[in-house]
Amino acid sequence: MRYRRGWIVLAALAVLTPLGIIAAGGAWGEWDIDGVRERAGFAPRGMAETGAAPESPFNDYTVPGLEGGFGRESLAAVITAFLGAGATALIAWGVARIAKHGRIS
Amino acid sequence: MHIPDGYLSPHTAGALYVVAAPFWAASLRHIRRRMRSRHAPLVAMLAAFVFLVMMFNIPLPGGTTGHAAGGVLVAVIVGPWAAITAVTIALAVQALFFGDGGILALGANAANLGVVMPLLGYLVFRALRGGARPGDRRFALAAAAGGYAGINAAALGTALLLGVQPLLHHLPDGTPLYCPFHLGVTLPAMMIPHLTVAGAAEAAITGGVVAFLGRHHPEIFEAAGSAASPEPAAPAKEAAS
Repeated sequence: MRYRRGWIVLAALAVLTPLGIIAAGGAWGEWDIDGVRERAGFAPRGMAETGAAPESPFNDYTVPGLEGGFGRESLAAVITAFLGAGATALIAWGVARIAKHGRIS
Repeated sequence: MHIPDGYLSPHTAGALYVVAAPFWAASLRHIRRRMRSRHAPLVAMLAAFVFLVMMFNIPLPGGTTGHAAGGVLVAVIVGPWAAITAVTIALAVQALFFGDGGILALGANAANLGVVMPLLGYLVFRALRGGARPGDRRFALAAAAGGYAGINAAALGTALLLGVQPLLHHLPDGTPLYCPFHLGVTLPAMMIPHLTVAGAAEAAITGGVVAFLGRHHPEIFEAAGSAASPEPAAPAKEAAS
């Protein structure tokens, strides 16, 4: 496999993602509508109308059934890291191949 | 820095798709014409790296969290034009499957993190590296500076898009319809953490990985720029071609 060491490093990163969920607090400006209401004092009307995104089962890098507690959330982080990074790599590879050759194989 | 849906008006979100689209097209054209086939797995690997590095949240000044983004690292390795596709795909997977960043807002997030960050960061890298080669200290330091500049440019873009929403879209009495925070709030909220901790993290990761690869796998940097020449082609020239 080309770049074998690189893929091993990526797998190690995926295993280490629980380190990324330790930090308290979320990102600035990524709150849901309740979080905005809390900080701005009101819920902007357009935001309430357009903000409701279709929910993925893996929203916010969680896995259904793996909620509550650092251990379960860590496992969810590792699972979603492998799923997400794997999907990203496959799609990127496919897009690069199609851009290059007009077909996947 | 992933803008969720609801913060930008549909007009702004749509406009940013229009802004990002020609860069996506230029990126795919670059891949078709100039990237070697054998570098496709490298682009895939770097896209996966971008996805993963954004999962490592670090505490930022102000009680929030943030993360490095990796766009400039990708640009230094495979060139800024291929980086646009790699980062955009990572952002798309984050938005579609993990609710990280909006789907309507994907154009805006791709413009900031996937276009501005790699292009501007790469320009800074090129300007500072001089004649340095992979493995040289100056090569890695230039990459670190590019990473710092790139993530801050993306943060600035995000702060501006959010902060102009109350000016563009409000009720007759001035009540904002979308992001309710003005530039006076969004600029310091985004820039102070990114000019300090997040920018330092981006610089350390970009410079550290480039230093390591330069020492142990300098051949990897051939992927940047044109296939025939080790010297990366000027981005401006490529955009026009």
